[in-house]
Amino acid sequence: MKSALIKVRSILAKSSQVLSMNQRNLEYVYPNNSRVDFPIADDKLLTKRYLEDASVPFPKNYHIYGYFFDLRTLAKDLADLHDFVIKPARGSGGGGIIVIVRKDEHYWYGVNGKPYSVEDIRRHLCDIIFGIYSFGIRDEAIIEQRILQHPTIDAIAAMGLADVRVIMYNDYPALAMMRLPTRASEGRANLHQGAIGVGIDIETGTTHHATMEGGFIDRHPDTGNELIGKEIAYWKEIIEIAKTVSKTVPLKYLGIDVALSVDGPKILEINVRPGIEIQNVNNKGMRDILSNIGTNSGA
Amino acid sequence: MTIDSRNRKNARTATFVALIALFIIVPLSIMTYKLFYLDYPLASLVPVNSYLLDINMQVDGHGDDISMSTFLPKTDTRQRILNENNTSGIFSLTIDSDETNRLATWSADAVEGHHNVSYSFLVQAKAIQYVIPDDIVIPKSYTDNVSKYLLEEEGVQIGDPLIDKKVQELFPERTANILQIVSRLHRHLQDDFANRKFSGFTDALTALKLGEASCNGKGRLFVAIARKMGIPARLVGGFILNPGSKRTSHQWVELYINSHWVPFDTINNHFASLPSNYLTLYYEDKSLFKHTANVNFQYMFKTRTRMVPRTEAQEKLSESIFSIIHFYSLFEKVGISQDLLKIVLMIPLGAFVVVVFRNVIGMETFGTFLPALIAAAARESGLFWGVIGFVLIIVVSASVRKVLDWLQLLHSPKMAIMLTTVVVVLLSLAVVGAELGMFELAHVSLFPIAILAITAERFAILEAEQGILKSTRITLSTIVVIAACYTVMESIFLQSTILAFPELILIPIALNLWLGRWIGMRFSEFIRFRKLIFGAQNA
Repeated sequence: MKSALIKVRSILAKSSQVLSMNQRNLEYVYPNNSRVDFPIADDKLLTKRYLEDASVPFPKNYHIYGYFFDLRTLAKDLADLHDFVIKPARGSGGGGIIVIVRKDEHYWYGVNGKPYSVEDIRRHLCDIIFGIYSFGIRDEAIIEQRILQHPTIDAIAAMGLADVRVIMYNDYPALAMMRLPTRASEGRANLHQGAIGVGIDIETGTTHHATMEGGFIDRHPDTGNELIGKEIAYWKEIIEIAKTVSKTVPLKYLGIDVALSVDGPKILEINVRPGIEIQNVNNKGMRDILSNIGTNSGA
Repeated sequence: MTIDSRNRKNARTATFVALIALFIIVPLSIMTYKLFYLDYPLASLVPVNSYLLDINMQVDGHGDDISMSTFLPKTDTRQRILNENNTSGIFSLTIDSDETNRLATWSADAVEGHHNVSYSFLVQAKAIQYVIPDDIVIPKSYTDNVSKYLLEEEGVQIGDPLIDKKVQELFPERTANILQIVSRLHRHLQDDFANRKFSGFTDALTALKLGEASCNGKGRLFVAIARKMGIPARLVGGFILNPGSKRTSHQWVELYINSHWVPFDTINNHFASLPSNYLTLYYEDKSLFKHTANVNFQYMFKTRTRMVPRTEAQEKLSESIFSIIHFYSLFEKVGISQDLLKIVLMIPLGAFVVVVFRNVIGMETFGTFLPALIAAAARESGLFWGVIGFVLIIVVSASVRKVLDWLQLLHSPKMAIMLTTVVVVLLSLAVVGAELGMFELAHVSLFPIAILAITAERFAILEAEQGILKSTRITLSTIVVIAACYTVMESIFLQSTILAFPELILIPIALNLWLGRWIGMRFSEFIRFRKLIFGAQNA
C-alpha cells in the first residue's frame, strides 16, 4: 500500500515534468506568440525578410512568382539553373515542394530522376499561385537555392535533407533534436511520417537518444549507421543563429528548423506551434527547462 | 513580467472566474426559482414509458392499382399519439378523420412487384378505471348520436329470440340498475364463455350458441345484450402493446354509462377499466384492414418500448407567469416541433462531450463538432445505422476526392463536387434503405451534408499524407466519440431535464470555460510519454 503510494507520487512528479499539449498552447504558444505575428512563420517569403534583417544564412531566392504574367520570363529565368527547389510560400506539410538536382539540354530532373520540361514546371508554378497547396488562398511560388547536405549528415543517411529543430523560449534554446529522413518517410524529415528523431544535448551538440515510430533505436534502420554519440557539426553556430532569429522576430516561443549545408547551417523555416514529441526524442520532459528559462529571463 | 502584464493577467483571471460563476449561478437560480416559487413538478422529469408501434404492410403488385386502408389511433384523454411517421414508397397516403375514427388509405397506380408500407408512432397511454355508482338506472332516453348505439346491426342480432331468452335468463327480475346489469353480464361472458383464439368474424348469435368465442364474438354478444337492455354499446378495435412482433389485434366494448363511454373486456377480464398497454384504434364494428383483392396482403405490428420525456413540465411552465412562458408555444407557432427543439437543446451537451474527448482524453476526431452533429442526426436512424451511413459516406466521398485530386482542381469547385457527392450518396443510401426495407438507413439523409463533405476532404488529405492507418484510426476514434455523444444526447433523463430547464445549457459554457484554461495532461499523453512518466530512466 505504502509502496503503491510512493509509486503514484513518483509518477505524478514525473508527469509534472512533461509539457502537455494543453499547457503548451495555454502557457507558451498563446501568451508568447501574438496571432498577428503568425504569418512571420507561415509565409516563407515573410520569414526570409526577417532572416535577412537578422543577417542569418538561409537558402537564397532565385525567383518569386506571384502572378501568372510573371511566368512569361520563366524559360529565361531557368536557363542557367541546374539545381533548385520549388516551394509554395504558404504551403503546409511539405506539399508542392519539388527538388531539382540537375539538368540536360531539354529537361530538369528531380531527386528520383523524374524529368520536368519548362512547361511541366510552369504548370506546377501555376498550381502553386492558384492556391492548390494553400487551401485555395492565392499563393506565391518560390524558386530557391537547393541545399547540399553536409557530408557528416550524409554519412549517417543520405535519404534526403535532414534538419535540426531547436525550440526557443524567450531567446533561449530549450530542447533540440535532429530529424533524419528514412526510406519509410520517403525522404521527408517528418516524425509522424516515419523519420528518425535524434535528441541533441544543447551544451555539447552531441546526440544522446534516438526514436523512430515511438520506440528508441541506436542505429539507422536503413543504413545501420550509429546514431548516438555523434557530434553535430557547427553546433555553436546553429545555437547562435537560432538565438539571433529568435531575437529578431516578435515570436517568443517557436521552433527553428536549420539544415546543415556544405557551407554551414541554413535556416529552413520557423514554426509557431512546435510539437511536443521532441520530449520523447530527448527522453526528457521540458517543463522545468521552460520554467527555468522563464525565471532567468524575467518572464 | 511587468506590472502592466501582471495586472492584465489578474484582470483576465478575475473575468474568467466571474464568467464561470455567472454561467453556473444564473441557470441554477432560474431553476431554483422555477422549482420553489413556481412549484414546478419535479416528478415530470422522470421519463414515461411509451411504446413505439410500427404497422408494417406488404403487398405484391401485378400491374394493377392497389389501395389499402387501416385505422390510425387518435389522441384522447387516455392515450397520446406522438411522432407519427409514414414511410410508404410509391404509395400516397390520405387520412380521413371524422368524429369517431381516423381512416388512413394508401394507394398507388399500376403497382409492380413487392412493396412495403410502414406507419409508426409513439403511444403514451394511461391505465383507466371507472367507478360505476350503484344507484344509477337506465335513463328513459338518449341523445340522437348515442341512441344509434341501441339499434340492431349486422352481427348484433338484438331482435333474435335467442338473445331475448338469454336476457330473461340473466335478468329474471328485469332490473334497471346499471351496475347490476353490467356486473352480471361481464361475469357471465368472462366466466361462462370460453376464450377462443379464432381470428374470423363471429356474430353475437353464434357466440351465444357455441358458448365460447374470440374477442369479437364476445364483444358482439356483450353489445347485443347491453343494447337489448337499453344501454348504448359499441365495439372498440385496438391493439395490446407488448414488445415484439404479432399480427393479432384485439376488440373490446364500451358502454355509455352516466355520460361516459366505459370500457369492458371479457377476454382479459377488465371490468370498467383498461390497462395502460391498450391502444384504441377505432370505434364501431369495422375491419381493421381493407385492401384490393389478390395482392398477397400481409401485415405485422412491431412494438418496442421507449422512454420519452413527459410533456407536463412544459405545460405547467406555460401556465406560469415566468418570462419565457411561451418559449415552447412560440416555436410551435413557427412550425418548429418540440422534438427538433429537443435536439437543438442537446447539441451544446454533445459539443461538450467532444471537448472532453479531445482535450481531456486526447482522442483525435474529424472536425471539432462533427461527432455531436452526427449523433444528433443519427437519432432517427439509430446509432448502428448512423455509424454505417457515416462510414459509407466518408469512404465513397474520399474515393471521389482521390479522382478529383488527380485532376488537380482548385479547392472551392472541388469542394462543391464533394458536396454533391455526399448528397448523391445520402440519397442513394435512403433509396437502397427503403428498397431493402431498412428504413433506419433511409434516415441518414438528415446528416449534415456540408460537414460531411469537409470531413471526407480531411479524411482524403490525411490518407494521402499520413497513410490509411492513421486515417482509419481517426475514423475509429470519431465513431467512439459519436457513440458517446449519442448516449449523452439520447439520455431521456438529460432530455427531460433540459426541456424543463432550458437555461441549463449555460452550464456547459461554464464547464468549457474551465476546460479552456485547463493545462493538465490529456489521458493519451500519459501513453504517448509513458517512457518519460513510467520509465525507469530519469528517476
